[in-house]
Amino acid sequence: MTVAAGTGYVLLALGPSLSLFIAVISQKPFLVLTLLSSTLLWLMSLIALSEIWRAFLSFKTGLLCPYALVILTSVAFQEALRLFLWRLYKRMEQILDAFADRVSKPHLFITDRMQIALAGGMGHGVAHAVFFYVSLLTPAFGPATYYVEKCPQMPFFLVSAIVALAFVTIHTFSMVIAFSGYSEGNRMDQYFAPAVHFTAGMLTLTNLASRGCVIGIPLLYGIAIITLGYCGKMVWKRLTENRGTLH
Amino acid sequence: MSTGSILETIGQEIIGVMSPVSICMFLVVLLVYTVYNPSATSSAATTIRTAANLVYLESPSDSTSQKLEGAILNAVVFVVIITLVTFLLLLLYYYRFTNFLLYYTRFSVFMIFSAMGSSILISIIQRFNIPIDAVTFYVLLFNFTILGTISVFSNGVPIIVKQSNMVVLGIIVAAWFSRLPEWTTWVVLVALALYDLAAVLAPGGPLKLLVELASSRDEELPALVYESRPNVGRNSRVRDSSLGMLVTAGIGMNSDNNDNGGAVELQELLRNVGSDDVNETRERAHMVIEVGQNERRTNRDEIEEVREDVGETSPLIGDSYNSVNDVSSGGVENSNGENRALQGNERDAVGMEEMNSRGIKLGMGDFIFYSVLVGRAAMYDLMTVYACYLAIISGLGCTLILLAVCRHALPALPISIALGVMFYFLTRLLMEPFVVGASTNLVMF
Repeated sequence: MTVAAGTGYVLLALGPSLSLFIAVISQKPFLVLTLLSSTLLWLMSLIALSEIWRAFLSFKTGLLCPYALVILTSVAFQEALRLFLWRLYKRMEQILDAFADRVSKPHLFITDRMQIALAGGMGHGVAHAVFFYVSLLTPAFGPATYYVEKCPQMPFFLVSAIVALAFVTIHTFSMVIAFSGYSEGNRMDQYFAPAVHFTAGMLTLTNLASRGCVIGIPLLYGIAIITLGYCGKMVWKRLTENRGTLH
Repeated sequence: MSTGSILETIGQEIIGVMSPVSICMFLVVLLVYTVYNPSATSSAATTIRTAANLVYLESPSDSTSQKLEGAILNAVVFVVIITLVTFLLLLLYYYRFTNFLLYYTRFSVFMIFSAMGSSILISIIQRFNIPIDAVTFYVLLFNFTILGTISVFSNGVPIIVKQSNMVVLGIIVAAWFSRLPEWTTWVVLVALALYDLAAVLAPGGPLKLLVELASSRDEELPALVYESRPNVGRNSRVRDSSLGMLVTAGIGMNSDNNDNGGAVELQELLRNVGSDDVNETRERAHMVIEVGQNERRTNRDEIEEVREDVGETSPLIGDSYNSVNDVSSGGVENSNGENRALQGNERDAVGMEEMNSRGIKLGMGDFIFYSVLVGRAAMYDLMTVYACYLAIISGLGCTLILLAVCRHALPALPISIALGVMFYFLTRLLMEPFVVGASTNLVMF
């Protein structure tokens, strides 16, 4: 595809993340570091998963079974990673609070914690977009474009960009929900993120069926919007109920 | 006292080093991908003979074992050459041929900008069919070279110009090194990482001796070093090296708040991170933080009253500093590069410590070899580039944290190169089939 189209596709998938990055994350160096580390962790999880599953995807069949298994295990693994990230974050929070004591500044505000969670989630989202989407795009510059036979309405890259955008949103905001759930012990929040991730992964399986993407992708966006709305509601609730105390 | 959150200022110095490294890598990848695309130029294979392939010129038709042997031979010869040149440098420095070293470095930077830089510019012009005539090109090149050479060595030039020209230097040399054949590149990178480890940490290592010599004479090495001086505002209160304090806070937390345990060596860890020429006392950005050996509560009071005095600027307490060294001139005749990241030391005053928010120094060789790794990864596919970029950045971060803990010169290559090479091969062999297979079927998670 042409450079203009390629740039457009990349911005479609990563545009909101870019604006979020410039507006929120690049202002605070620590958030950039959080983003980079969570991207790295996601990459490592992807490498571990591919080590296990590489053999299976050489089957060119459109069978549901191996793919479903792949998604199941991958989502489970990545949710375990999320728990691990939470542990790491708790440790980091203690260190930061101790540091704040030493330089006699206040402890981390609640908005700080949420921003760190946002940066972590965005790391996951950006890693998804980059490894699942952008890395396929860049070798394809030049004349002609690529269509998938199961979803022939749009070029492959456009469909993929749309799916990537949904996933970026899901990853980014479910991390905020998950961290808030872990810190408050709210069961609903804690199970929300894995449930959403799992559902989203399974929904992409509909793309294996012919013309399945017509159903699958709008549903995927439904999930992304639910995640966004839930996150917004939860953040609003937390901020207003803690209005007096910022910790 | 400002009530801003600590989140606003932590990690600034790490970002100050990671940004130029990222920019350098990005531009090298861009250059390699658009201009030196191997699929386009594989037929017209201009195998340049550099110091890195003196012994064995790789060609795609050799067998695997032949390539491996040849690459290892090349790498050994390269490392031997570098060791010899480093010892030569050490000898010259020991016998105080400092001026010679200075002039030689200036000359080599000039050659890099003019000769190697112009060849890259010409390839860019050819690739994109830019209409420019020879006279304009020479004038522009001349301007650019002179400005670059002057800004890299002088202290009167704005720091951003100096930093940008350092990055351009790194890009030029890295783009040249990326043209080495594939097997040779990987083996040379690994060999250099091992060499760096040995040269900086082993007792007889040339770089270690060099650093000790320089610090004992209280001088700076005539070398190419990137300094990431942060832009410190007027009202900067609590600032960096927050990295050192952060690490101590982490360590100190484990020793449960008792007086002796809590006295985790804040004093030793607060230090002058940066280059200090004796002439640079006019740089006034620093602050005073008092450190006591007591527990943190009493510290708080002392810090308060000291802070009132920070309005005026006081001259720096005399420093003894170490600096990174790197002399790098790649190219046809000779090439050598040493690299470390390192922090300077400063002696303590009674109960008071002066801290200079200068940032961290990173040798140019580090820039170059990180970018070579990423550039070589770019010649395969961009997925490997992203993976290697993340690996190198995290290796750099680990090295910086180690630096805050270890407080002496550390080699910056080994961890990053090891991670980078590992991630490259893992991505290329394992991850790519998996991910491409999944996403071309629109199955994602």
